[in-house]
Amino acid sequence: MDFSIQTFKTGGERALLDPRTSILAIVVIGAIMMGGKLSGVEYVLRVISCMIPAVLLFVIKKYKTATVYFLFMAVTMILEGTAVQITSGSLNLVFVIISGVVSRFIPQFMMAYCFLSYTTVSEFIVSMEKMHAPSFITIPMSVMFRFFPTISEEGRCVMEAMKMRKTSKKKPSLTQKLEYELVPVMMQSVRISDELSQAAMTKGLGLDRKRTHICKVGFRLIDYVMIIVLLTCLALFIIY
Amino acid sequence: MDNKKNSLTVKDCINIGVFAAFYIVIFFVTSFIGYIPIMLVVLSVLCGIVCGIPLMVFFSKAHVFGMVTIFGIIMGLFMLVMGRPWYSILTAVVAGVAADLWMKTGEYKSISKAVIGSGIFSLWMLGMIMPLYFGRDAYLLSVAEGYGEEFANTLEKITPGWSFVLLVVLTFVGGILGGLLGKAVLKKHFKKAGMA
Repeated sequence: MDFSIQTFKTGGERALLDPRTSILAIVVIGAIMMGGKLSGVEYVLRVISCMIPAVLLFVIKKYKTATVYFLFMAVTMILEGTAVQITSGSLNLVFVIISGVVSRFIPQFMMAYCFLSYTTVSEFIVSMEKMHAPSFITIPMSVMFRFFPTISEEGRCVMEAMKMRKTSKKKPSLTQKLEYELVPVMMQSVRISDELSQAAMTKGLGLDRKRTHICKVGFRLIDYVMIIVLLTCLALFIIY
Repeated sequence: MDNKKNSLTVKDCINIGVFAAFYIVIFFVTSFIGYIPIMLVVLSVLCGIVCGIPLMVFFSKAHVFGMVTIFGIIMGLFMLVMGRPWYSILTAVVAGVAADLWMKTGEYKSISKAVIGSGIFSLWMLGMIMPLYFGRDAYLLSVAEGYGEEFANTLEKITPGWSFVLLVVLTFVGGILGGLLGKAVLKKHFKKAGMA
């Protein structure tokens, strides 16, 4: 899974969905997948909402991720629809755990992944400003979103460096894993955060003036369609 | 936001973001263990211990009132977005403010106060387990429907009502243990490199 995030786009193309729609999608999918029942209307809602990220992944041309995700979710959903219903006892518990780990956590993650891959930091900040969120919330949030890919990248680099110097162990204990892998990544993050804040200063983020921007953010037809689908799902979820 | 010494600067905001990202990654990796029913209960303790490390590094960067609170708010918002019970946003804000006030008594410099602060902050994780105790029947019913009867029965058996108090204490202790762990890491690595 290739993870990269852009600060801004030079071509002038817009994000697939408005950041606000994307956030609504994450919230709704999260609520339905995390707390939904495994039978009746809610099961149908679960199937629908876990397929939204798959469709979006196809639209943004990440075919490989989309296919893998689709297959995973299809298997899990079939498992939840059949095996979980007919088994009982400890076998049931095993099925619930296996399918639960996938179906209750992954869809929100994939939706967030979609959101991060088609939204730029600039667009995110603008849409947050439109929602009148205070800057001491939006700045940490946007840094946070930008930072998830960085962490995985730094983690990879640390592993590679360890391999190169032949210091990696075959089976590190938990404390060793924490110390040898976490600490270097954390140190690197401290350094990056210093650099980031300097970069932000030079871009004038510390000023009290209103921020100007060139990216276009706003609802389009696809946003309205998406919002209607999501709100219908949410309404049905709450009623049933 | 201006650059006075006693107010929140952009640099602080960025620090919050960086460590929030770190905290969440570690938190999520740890919380996958929660799928074993017994572990779900002690999840907050476990997460408190492991997450103590980034938390302590963050505390070493905190120097004005508000940073820890905002950290808490972001945790709560994130949990809300990920579909966790909405209780966690309340506990996250409350724990954030409490830890912030506590740290303020040490002017954000005392490391032993930061260790206790880590214990206080870790209490926000109780928000995720709270529905199990407040509104128990409804929660167990929804668990039974969502995760199956077996899961709910096991869960009910291992969590009598009084265990909540025990859990609060354990989480607090877990947070302090995490804080001590973080303190050791800070001392061993960060101080040496002159980064904390």
